[in-house]
Amino acid sequence: MKVELRSIHKYFGPVHANNNISLTILPGTIQGIVGENGAGKSTLMKILSGFIQADEGEILLDDQVITIHSPSDALKRGIGMLHQDPLDFPPMKVIDNLLIGQEGGLFPNKRKVAADIKKLANQFGFSIDTEAYVEGLTVGERQQLEIIRLLWMGARILILDEPTTGISASQKEKLFETLTRLASEGMIVIFVSHKLEEIETLCHRAAVFRGGLLVGEAIQPYHTDDLVRLMFGKPMELGSRLGCHSEENVVEIHNLEIEDPRLHIRDVDLDVKAGEVIGLAGMEGSGQRLFLRALGGLLATTGRTKLLVKGHDLTHEPYSSYLKTGVAYVPADRMEEGLIPGLTLKEHFILTGDTKKLFIDQEESLHRTKVKISEFNIKGRPDSYVEELSGGNQQRALLALLNEPLSLVLLEHPSRGLDLESTIWLWEKLKERCKTGTAVIFISSDLEQILHYSDRILVFFGGKVSKPMLAAETNVDQLGQLIGGKGFVN
Amino acid sequence: MKSGSRWYRFGIQVAAVVLALVFTSIILLIAKAQPLEAYKNILVGSFSSIEAITNVIVVWIPLLLASAGALVTFTAGLWNIGIEGQITLGAISTTLVLRLLQHSDVSPAIIIFLAVLSGFIGGALWAALAGALKTYGGVNEIFGGLGLNFVATAMTIWLIFGPWKRPGIGSMSGTEPFANTLWLPTIPGLRLSWWSLLIGILALVLVYVLLSNTHFGLKLKAVGKNRKAASVFGIPTSNFMMSAFLICGGLAGLAGALQVLAVYHRLIPSISSGYGYLGLMVGMLINYQAIWAAPVAFFFAALNFGSIQLPIVMKLDSSLSGVLQGALVLFVLMMDGVRKRFEKKA
Amino acid sequence: MKKNVIWRTIVVFMLASMLVSACAPAATPAPTAEPAKPAEPTKAAEPAAAEPTKAPEPTKAEAAAPTAAGEFTFGIVMVGPYNDHGWSEASYLAGQYVEKMVPGTKMIYIDKVNSADRPGTTGDQLAEELVSKGAKLIVFNSDDFKDASVEFKKNNPTIPVLHISGDLAWKDGKNYKEMEGYSNLMSQMEYGEMIGGCAAALTTQTGKIGYVGPLINDETRRFANATYLGAKHCWETYAKKDPKDLKMKVTWIGFWFNIPGVTADPSTVSDDFLNSGHDVLISALDTMEALVQTKKAVDGGKKAWAVAYDYKDACNEAPDVCLGVRYFNWGPGYVKAVKAVMDGSFKSYWEWAAPDWKDINNPDTSAMGFNKGKGLSEENAKNLDAFIGELAGGLNLWTGPIKWQDGTDFLKDGEKATDQQIWYQPQLLEGIEGLSVAP
Repeated sequence: MKVELRSIHKYFGPVHANNNISLTILPGTIQGIVGENGAGKSTLMKILSGFIQADEGEILLDDQVITIHSPSDALKRGIGMLHQDPLDFPPMKVIDNLLIGQEGGLFPNKRKVAADIKKLANQFGFSIDTEAYVEGLTVGERQQLEIIRLLWMGARILILDEPTTGISASQKEKLFETLTRLASEGMIVIFVSHKLEEIETLCHRAAVFRGGLLVGEAIQPYHTDDLVRLMFGKPMELGSRLGCHSEENVVEIHNLEIEDPRLHIRDVDLDVKAGEVIGLAGMEGSGQRLFLRALGGLLATTGRTKLLVKGHDLTHEPYSSYLKTGVAYVPADRMEEGLIPGLTLKEHFILTGDTKKLFIDQEESLHRTKVKISEFNIKGRPDSYVEELSGGNQQRALLALLNEPLSLVLLEHPSRGLDLESTIWLWEKLKERCKTGTAVIFISSDLEQILHYSDRILVFFGGKVSKPMLAAETNVDQLGQLIGGKGFVN
Repeated sequence: MKSGSRWYRFGIQVAAVVLALVFTSIILLIAKAQPLEAYKNILVGSFSSIEAITNVIVVWIPLLLASAGALVTFTAGLWNIGIEGQITLGAISTTLVLRLLQHSDVSPAIIIFLAVLSGFIGGALWAALAGALKTYGGVNEIFGGLGLNFVATAMTIWLIFGPWKRPGIGSMSGTEPFANTLWLPTIPGLRLSWWSLLIGILALVLVYVLLSNTHFGLKLKAVGKNRKAASVFGIPTSNFMMSAFLICGGLAGLAGALQVLAVYHRLIPSISSGYGYLGLMVGMLINYQAIWAAPVAFFFAALNFGSIQLPIVMKLDSSLSGVLQGALVLFVLMMDGVRKRFEKKA
Repeated sequence: MKKNVIWRTIVVFMLASMLVSACAPAATPAPTAEPAKPAEPTKAAEPAAAEPTKAPEPTKAEAAAPTAAGEFTFGIVMVGPYNDHGWSEASYLAGQYVEKMVPGTKMIYIDKVNSADRPGTTGDQLAEELVSKGAKLIVFNSDDFKDASVEFKKNNPTIPVLHISGDLAWKDGKNYKEMEGYSNLMSQMEYGEMIGGCAAALTTQTGKIGYVGPLINDETRRFANATYLGAKHCWETYAKKDPKDLKMKVTWIGFWFNIPGVTADPSTVSDDFLNSGHDVLISALDTMEALVQTKKAVDGGKKAWAVAYDYKDACNEAPDVCLGVRYFNWGPGYVKAVKAVMDGSFKSYWEWAAPDWKDINNPDTSAMGFNKGKGLSEENAKNLDAFIGELAGGLNLWTGPIKWQDGTDFLKDGEKATDQQIWYQPQLLEGIEGLSVAP
């Protein structure tokens, strides 16, 4: 099956999201699509997979001009798309989610479907429990589920939009293996990412997007510098390690214990210095998120846990005490937990300001919002609804909303969905915080990032927590071993 | 682009109204009635005289209170379908105070004041029940509210036929009417009481200010839009949801109090008159914008009152007004959806 | 967002259906099709027309008197649907009767006037709507409208009011209220009750009669007592049995019709009667449960009968088990009121309209009637006619000695009851089993 896109144009209001895009993909190809956020990658993929329609241009499948009206229409033609935010029905079982997409049959054969799925999953080394509830799965597991579902429903052209965010290194490896195999079987894989490294490892070809334009194509072997230049118009480099911690303890954790239906974390002791950055590594669902939430006061600890922040015992205090002590939590799921869709930027800033008074001081808050918007370079107006912002701008807004001063910032996957430029900018902002004595603890599935920005690293595996390691003395391989569960003493 | 889309939105709304009218007309034609004549009769019935207009306002007041209350809970993301029962409990509480004090030496003005207050509290407490079920018991407020509506109705009927029965009589018409001194004074010759009107308008203004200009209102909105994120923002969501229930229930209770003090002058079985449900519909129709509550509620009130002409003049069932109201809300929602889809494509 | 719209749509549907059904019964659990009969149709009377206002004898005179050119509109406020086959339909028929008998008149009406069916409205308010449509006389067809009719009169002093049942216009009554142009009308249904009781007593084989009563008040006690007197009289006089062997039990359901969850269920009450040896049921409700349950019992092999109420053709529901129906005939009373308003002679009066003893089923002259049912045997029908003849001849069953249920004297030996004594009855009579007052 061959895909050809001819002169695709797409406008969102004044934004020209896709500008005269033409691209041909031959069978058996893994086609990389790279570009920074807002470059038009996702828009093109949504057009191809039927979620939206192009304003101009044609799509050809095996030289036939086709019109794709809807995602299910696309799927019927063998085009399946995996999203950044998997679309499924969280309060339902995996198996039922699968059955929803299936055509025909009032009484589906659950057992057979479950068996098929298990088989497919095993092929790729995914472990999927069809009886589990989707809401209990991690983002990584949900994505695996979605890949399996698309394959199961007969997709011949698989579109993956940032598929490696949120999944572990070993999951990623399996994924790449899978995709390579699929391509060797004649399928087309379209792989959207802003991570050059992945594109270079995996893709046969790469198309680079910038500002709605397809600015260039490359084939293996790649020259990274060329790609970077195409993407950003200039070469980029990661910033340096923050390295601004002092000797003063901001956080003291003693005997931390967390009970969860699936995991049991116990006996964690850790002191965090002012200005220190601690990275938490591990496969999704190994306990790092529970740990982070417990530190943020969003999850109750049990046992003999003692948790001190700036000398205040917060162990069994309500969340509001954490806020008062300067602990801030930045969730990964920005639209679910971080921001409030339906409220404007200004309203968000009002909420994080002084809310003791009865009436809102509209002028003061407008002013404050404008200042923050320019300070954090958010592309939006005070009356923009947060859901209208792009992922990167949402992340900027989240950072802008953090109070000052803070004792401790906890971040889940701070760079998820961000392009390199935004990631660098993000860490610059965090560095400013560190300089004022704020400690940072973050989760990431990007080991490079963890190694690069952390002072110390904790690795989680099945609820077990490694001793803190100095990032400067650790390498990817060591981390990989630990993440895989090797080297844990107890 | 901006102003263009405003006109465009307005046009969409007009289209929705037209569709609702067409839909209702078809139903009328099926019932072998002349739609235009029916609409004319409703209009004439509502606006032909000062009496008619004030009668519409009498309906408008409780509807205004219910709509204002609904807005508060809508803002918190709650479907307080229990407004109906909260009105009823307001009425019961008001009646209780009136019964306790009617033969005492307390001056009527004070009795009335206490009765109104009691109505507010009664409604608020009943809402608090639904709120507690929702917040602490995990019972969806729609189911909790519906259940409590039934209980409220049963309670009214029990009181009317039981402890509060008229001497020697057990009649569905209600309890013994209160003495004229305990009625809210009306404009001479009309059914409208300035006091009721004042309470109704004041309530709406307060809700408008509360929702649009206070930190409380904004936090409530945050809770309604994204409960998880709101709690990460440090907003105690349970407290805010409870507050929304209490305010809504209080306003509904006021409606019940006014039904007793200014309309029926006693407790009757269906004292809430469906205003709770109607108030929710108003809330949806105006897309939760408090500023539109007054005109839309007035329109609904006019439909309600004007439609009484239908059985008299045309031998039609007056529930037609309910059909028109329901159709309006449905078509406005539908056109809204169409517009969004359209805009996405454009 | 999309989910939200769907959700909202579902809720609108729910609300709409609730509203529509609320327009029927928002609060009061579904009044069974038939809205209540007006709270209390009151009537009672003395033998033969002790009343000066004997039921009207309009017929010929009226038909002959053409009423000017201008149309005269009168309005009826009905508590139930105009076609309820019960109380309200009787009013509707009466209105049609007026249109026929008094040329140039036109009826307008608003039905289902109760707070459950027309939420947010009041009887007086709706009456004013009728006035604004030209009504020159307002008939409130139910006792339920007592307060509404007074309120209406207060605000519309120039519009004549005829309130069916009730005693506010009765100068010698306990509740007299001086209001110009406000009148009451009630049929002397006591006789219907006596006739029904008689039919039951003549038919019963077990000697046990079950009376399915509505709520308890002066009127319903009056009717139950009248039934008992009629039954006892026929038991002794025609069946020639010992009065000690006649048992009548009254069970009140708590309202004029079944309100699920609130009243006792009349079907259950009927079944209980039938299962405890009562073989004749007398219904005093607006609805047919007694008749229906009796038919079921008969179909199941029992021997049982029932006496129906209110509506002329009620026996059609189960003809074979029906001994007859006592019913209201409002036509003549309405005609009288309309004519009086038309010629300007309408004053405040209280009319306790009597049956026409020459023919109690004469639609032009009799305020109430009794339609015999197929369940009544020929012989019993003959005896029943004889009893009606006795009543027509002046038999007064309200003659002492009669004792109240608590053993105190109602009427001493030979004493005859006054109108007031008949109208206002505080207790059931001795010999009736059942509650005299609400518990």
